[in-house]
Amino acid sequence: MQQLVKKVKEIIKNKEVDVVIGWGRGSLPFSATPIFVETEKDVEKLIFDETCRNNLTTYLTKDKRRISKEYKKIGIIVKGCDSRSVVLYTVENQIKRENVVLIGVPCNGVFEKKKLSQLVEGKEILDFQIDVDNIIIKGRNFEQTHPLKDALCDPCLTCQYPDAPEYDYFIGTPRKDVNVPDAYKMINDFGEKSAEERWAYIQEEYSKCIRCYACRNICPSCYCPECFVDQNDPQWIGKTPEVTDSIIFHLIRNLHVAGRCVDCGACVSACPVDLDLRIMSKKVEKEIKERFDYTAGTDINEKPAMASYCENEKQDFIMG
Amino acid sequence: MVKIKKTELNEFIEFLMKDYDVYSPADVGKKAAFKKIKSAFEIKHAITNTHLSPKDVFFPQSEVLFQYSDDGLKVPKREEKAIAVWGMRNCDTSSLLMLNKVFGDAHQMPDKDMYKDPYWKMKYDNCLIFNQACNEPLSTCFCNWFEGNPFAKKGADIFVVDTGDHFILEGISDKGKTFLSKYKAGEETTKVDLNKIAKLKETAESYLPDVVDIKPLFNKMNKIWDEPIWEEISAKCINCGACTFVCPTCHCFDVSDEGKGKKGQRIRLWDSCMFQIFTREASGHNPRGLSTQRVRQRIMHKYNYFMDNYEQYLCTGCGRCVQVCPVNLDIREVIKKVLDYKLSKNEEI
Repeated sequence: MQQLVKKVKEIIKNKEVDVVIGWGRGSLPFSATPIFVETEKDVEKLIFDETCRNNLTTYLTKDKRRISKEYKKIGIIVKGCDSRSVVLYTVENQIKRENVVLIGVPCNGVFEKKKLSQLVEGKEILDFQIDVDNIIIKGRNFEQTHPLKDALCDPCLTCQYPDAPEYDYFIGTPRKDVNVPDAYKMINDFGEKSAEERWAYIQEEYSKCIRCYACRNICPSCYCPECFVDQNDPQWIGKTPEVTDSIIFHLIRNLHVAGRCVDCGACVSACPVDLDLRIMSKKVEKEIKERFDYTAGTDINEKPAMASYCENEKQDFIMG
Repeated sequence: MVKIKKTELNEFIEFLMKDYDVYSPADVGKKAAFKKIKSAFEIKHAITNTHLSPKDVFFPQSEVLFQYSDDGLKVPKREEKAIAVWGMRNCDTSSLLMLNKVFGDAHQMPDKDMYKDPYWKMKYDNCLIFNQACNEPLSTCFCNWFEGNPFAKKGADIFVVDTGDHFILEGISDKGKTFLSKYKAGEETTKVDLNKIAKLKETAESYLPDVVDIKPLFNKMNKIWDEPIWEEISAKCINCGACTFVCPTCHCFDVSDEGKGKKGQRIRLWDSCMFQIFTREASGHNPRGLSTQRVRQRIMHKYNYFMDNYEQYLCTGCGRCVQVCPVNLDIREVIKKVLDYKLSKNEEI
């Protein structure tokens, strides 16, 4: 942490950047909150730990930020997935790489509040403590110990890029030797089920959607100035929370982020009704990986899967 | 007062169901929300505050206003029984009183009857509200900032306390008293019960945060409309509608037509001032095109505009928006920030 503060102080002092977007302590247990650090004094507010859930790069695209203040050069603290979003923005011409300064931090995974809440059966969590591989969760009348990995976000458990693939400064030691279980196990397991079972699950799950668009707005890859659901001339889809309308929203959103989703899981954490959003996004990611051998945000010199063509691509989906 | 054994709650709920459609906190997916129940066994007891507010019982997220076809116009009428809501906490009960000022009361309109919302009234007017004492407020609760209390009875028809093995019911409104007098199967309450209630109240109150004096908020809001504080507050907001949709008092709506050929319907849907499209005009111009302007609108509506119109703040301190905000934009901190803000123009408050 001290190294991080020192580095950020340095680049702010040298006027290398106008602002550094990082995490500060949030108002709830297990929460960090995005902060915009412009002065050396504010640098002390920066933190980095397992609570730093948000993918802050979502603030880099102009239409998301929509604040009147215009920064010329932005510093941003990035975990692996966040760094991949910056690569995505660069290859998609949304930002110029030289206009952002990336400060990489070694990530051991971040907490998923929803999983924590399930661990303690919905009881309110007031404090926590990490003890090597365990987490001690405290509330008004309880204290429970659970394996640390049970509290981490699902994407973190199969993350192959905990270290930022793209960075200008790296604080601490990269994790390098990452050995992860099969990232597509959940998708393969789900695929084993019958079509009826899968459809029933998807319908049940997405019928809970309240159309608040938290998933879309927190998503770094969703940066359209005007989303198709916000268009009303013509109006593409119904606006009700009925499952038929909601499913179409989620299907189209997922197709739109095909080959662009970095699996940061921000949508899952943001969802106020705990939808299983990765059941769709991970499936699309897998398809892109298998058909185009492409993983979003890992190579700044590679053209995006959906913006390039090569002759030897599998085309069985066209010919049936 | 009527005392009911928890194990005998189903008998009471069945009695209630003779005259009412009963809604109560229940499992909806992994979350708790209010839904229509068929038996007392669906009631989710071990919660303090449902994740979604009960406003959609009376003001559904999507509601058909009328349907049209070659046969003419059809306006839906409520043919079912009146609504009873079990298990409401006082933050939610108070929110209904606020919403009723908008939809049901129309006291500030020149022609009162004309501006009453029939869709709200057909559900709300004959409803029976069971306001349940909140034994264990959450760390995100701040009802005491708004003169609320976990054991407040304002807006209740019947006040309910969960004392462990029993529910103790007290008729508050005439409607509530009349209903309770018809139920003969309950036990008599004793002094021990009353002591228990007092003790529970004391414990619940001890969980509440320190009171913040929010009376000056209204005046302060009047003066900070074009101050830079809004940029600071809104910088991290991503403009999703999570806060407005879980809020028990947010009530902005949109009207949408769905039709094909000669058949169709007009529906009313929740809308959110956080969305760009909320204010976008047909020309393409958007008077609230910036995130800053939209965040200001939400906060101003809650702590200034509503006070102007209805002499109270549009917030009950239920803390749901604090819990769901994906970027931890904590409305309690916004209130404190505004109260502490020093005006840049040297204006005296």
